[in-house]
Amino acid sequence: MARGSPRRAIARNAAFPAAGASTKVEPPPTRKLTIVAKDPGLRLGAPDGPMAFTQVDIPAELLGKGPTGYRIKVVDYNATERVAYFDNQDYQRRDGALLDPFAPLDGDFLDRAYQERCIGDPNFHAQNVYAIAMRTLGLFERALGRRVGWSSGGHQLHIAPHAFAQANAFYSEPDRALLFGYFERANGGRVFTCLSHDIVAHETTHALLDGLRSRFTEASGPDQAAFHEGFADIVALLSIFSLEEVVAAAIGEDGAVARGDAKIALVDASKLDKDEILKSIFLGIAKEVGGEIEPGELGALRRSVMIPPERGKVMRTDTDEHARGEVLVAAMLNAFVDLWLARIAQLGEFEGHRYNLAAVVGEGAKVASHLLNMAIRAIDYCPPTDIDFSQYLAALLTADREAVPDDSEHKYREIIKRGFEAYGIPASGPGCNDDGTWKRFDRNKELTYTRSNYSAMMRNRDELFRFIWENRSEDRLDLDERAYTEVLSIDQVARVGPDGITLYETIGQYTQRLDIFGAEFKSLLGVERPRVMLTTDKFTAFGGGVLVLDQYGQVKYHIANRLRDPERQFARAEYLLETSQFTDLDPNDRLRFAVLHQQRMGA
Amino acid sequence: MANPPVAATIFAYHVGFGDCFLLRFTYADGSRRHLLIDFGTTSLPDDAGADWMRSIARDIRDKCTEGGGALNIVVATHRHADHISGFATAADGKGSGDIIAALKPKLVVQPWTEAPNAPVSWRGPVIKDKHAFAARRNSLDAMHRTAELALQSVYRSRKRLPQALVDEIAFVGEDNLKNLSAIKNLQAMGPNVYVYHGSDTGMAAELPGIDVTVLGPPTLTQTDAIKKQASTSEAEFWMLAPKRMSDAGGLGDAKPLFPGAKTIRGSRLFTEQRWLARRIDQASSELLRSLVRALDNQMNNTSVILLFRAGTKSLLFPGDAQLENWQYALQSKLAPLLDDVDLYKVGHHGSRNATPKSMWKLFTKRGGKKRPDRLTSVMSTKHGKHGCVKKHTEVPRVSLVDALKVESNFHSTEDLAAGELYEEISISLT
Repeated sequence: MARGSPRRAIARNAAFPAAGASTKVEPPPTRKLTIVAKDPGLRLGAPDGPMAFTQVDIPAELLGKGPTGYRIKVVDYNATERVAYFDNQDYQRRDGALLDPFAPLDGDFLDRAYQERCIGDPNFHAQNVYAIAMRTLGLFERALGRRVGWSSGGHQLHIAPHAFAQANAFYSEPDRALLFGYFERANGGRVFTCLSHDIVAHETTHALLDGLRSRFTEASGPDQAAFHEGFADIVALLSIFSLEEVVAAAIGEDGAVARGDAKIALVDASKLDKDEILKSIFLGIAKEVGGEIEPGELGALRRSVMIPPERGKVMRTDTDEHARGEVLVAAMLNAFVDLWLARIAQLGEFEGHRYNLAAVVGEGAKVASHLLNMAIRAIDYCPPTDIDFSQYLAALLTADREAVPDDSEHKYREIIKRGFEAYGIPASGPGCNDDGTWKRFDRNKELTYTRSNYSAMMRNRDELFRFIWENRSEDRLDLDERAYTEVLSIDQVARVGPDGITLYETIGQYTQRLDIFGAEFKSLLGVERPRVMLTTDKFTAFGGGVLVLDQYGQVKYHIANRLRDPERQFARAEYLLETSQFTDLDPNDRLRFAVLHQQRMGA
Repeated sequence: MANPPVAATIFAYHVGFGDCFLLRFTYADGSRRHLLIDFGTTSLPDDAGADWMRSIARDIRDKCTEGGGALNIVVATHRHADHISGFATAADGKGSGDIIAALKPKLVVQPWTEAPNAPVSWRGPVIKDKHAFAARRNSLDAMHRTAELALQSVYRSRKRLPQALVDEIAFVGEDNLKNLSAIKNLQAMGPNVYVYHGSDTGMAAELPGIDVTVLGPPTLTQTDAIKKQASTSEAEFWMLAPKRMSDAGGLGDAKPLFPGAKTIRGSRLFTEQRWLARRIDQASSELLRSLVRALDNQMNNTSVILLFRAGTKSLLFPGDAQLENWQYALQSKLAPLLDDVDLYKVGHHGSRNATPKSMWKLFTKRGGKKRPDRLTSVMSTKHGKHGCVKKHTEVPRVSLVDALKVESNFHSTEDLAAGELYEEISISLT
């Protein structure tokens, strides 16, 4: 059958009038689209039970074929089969009503036949990646309070849900695309990486992080290489917990009680034991893919949260960046579990050692949401080059303190700090306070503000650079004058002040570069070059910083990795030499993330 | 120990992209011993005729047999075509491999990965799983098959891909095809010994007065001691590789992904699909290339690394061993032996990964022209066949060649004139 699309289910957007109505109604800001929640490996009720499908809220828009929207463009081309799959769907009617073509007709997401039809339809896969990517983008934009661009400068990120028959899925910076592969199971069925919420959210996060901190894809140190992977996993894992119905269904009900007219579903306390949660499907990445590539006890492609602190400390110093990235995930997700359990402990127990399932799930969603916001906002407080995990921790704590000055109730910052330290990620360093947050900038009296124009500085990179250059001396911003310095980006951040009124801060990113010879290492960077580096070797040293300007235009934070930072420059040069990346810097490599993934997937 | 030889001569044959070294040790009484270390090519010198490899084989024969000598030992460092193709035989019995076999070497040395089963004399570290050899053998076969499929796939798509990408995959793929004739000939031409880091080579009888140390390849147990990923999962990965390559290349009779779906042919895409589709084609082939490269590296890392100490000199022949093979040796008790290397056969035709900086910096005899005991380096290679300059993976690597020229007495087969079969390098061992 040539036109093989299933009977189209049309879920009308309830706010909309019927076709032909004459009154003009405001278009809704959001719409619902059906996706696979978490992973096709998540089965409800029994190991061969139905998959978890759900609807997610995403910004509403009039979609073109693909689907193509204002931020995402799906191109369903398959290089192995050399075909593109036709988009048969309509996402809106002529009267403007928004549609969810793959919502079940009768509202039953668990119906097997319905699920099979969706899985067998490439258009559903296209919808799945579109919706999850938009949802992840939405998380970032809400957390940061502004639009987050792609690193390429283009407005639409491409997504190919069936790019090739390979066990891989990756973000390709030069292609402005997320490419998802598929492969065959040992027993003949197919595994689509594009159907795993974890993998789609993970890859989208790479693209978003690349838009915020484009220099993080460069060769620098093992922490920076690992950071991208660890951060992407953190976002993928935490973003599931807001799908409360799915989480509840996956945990499973253990009876219910009636309270008046309401029925309260209950869950057994034994399921809420730390070990059980660590082993649960929620804290593993990509169960289905993992099950195929590396069948084993993990029950997932990776399950970083199971790494205990002692082993984490060892992995922390591993030269392998995959291992390091997992330590970051372990620290963050263990903190999540601890915070969640602390809140559950405050809930009342029902008879038979059971808890209110919806309340448990609700607490999980709250904690996950708080941590997710913290994790994303922290990026604004990260230096633009040579990030290491301790700096990210400082950024995390600073971002949270800015948003929630009084942490005494839930003590998020204390628990995070302790958790990270247990994993060998201390919140220390010359630029930090005792509580681990970044020190405030204290040289405002020395800075010259009079020759710059604050309102222009907020918007114009030349103007901000003028301000930086004016204040470059050692007693002010302390930037090496001989380096080539460039302002990469300026963003406005909205913050709700203590009196509940929104105020705006400005975050500017700048980088510096120095092209030197090995012979100049000591004089320009302040440390002897690594033994293996020859005097005639060419080397590029980088520095960079973030300037946070408060609502008055005064410098609030100057978070920088300076050029003349002997320890850091030496460590970076040594790392580059050891991993033979010397003079091989090519961040524009389309396979940069692919090869990393190939290795993680067993190559 | 018996009296050591007084001179060593290395005949570096001009095979193009490949290795072929005849090592001659001359003793005080005028007697000689000969070792042939590799004999293969994947691209002959530009001016070489069809009979070139046989001419080399005949020259090897003449040098070995003159003055009553013989070819004592053959070493096949690993089974890449550019190291063993010359050992292939011909139907008429007059191929280059037949000429070598007729010399009846007393010993054929290969890496332990080539052993059909755990050899009787195996005194290697106890391996937890007896099937290691079978697994290794099977995964070698799987690698060959994967290379074959990669070639099929890239030929199929060659019109749509950049020529450089096609050429590169083709060159590496062909190097990894199974050369059954050569393999069989090596097994049959003399008693085989399979070596690993620290093992006995059995060469003492054939090379009196010479200390031969095997620095690589490490065994599975040795590798597992220093690596995080168990070697067994590596073998498993390669067993799955042919299927993955076949699927990725769109070969075989895989069912269509979505049988009922309406599709648009790749040659007739909508205008809004074309920009990305072309790039996905390339990305897909680049992924294939990286798989082929991984395969190639895996095979290179099976190379035998031999260190000969004769008289006052040390000669290092590492085949195509790359960093992963070297890693075990560099952290082992044998590592200090590298300090005194006098002659270094440049690994893998001058590639970056085969002369890791951590190894290069150990050689104490690197230095300027005026240094009396200066290191000698010998490279057998051909430009423009492997890797690419843009990604700094070109073989030979320019920065490495520069370092070799500056810090050693550097010899390259590429500097030979048209028609010259070899370069002769003499080393005094007293």
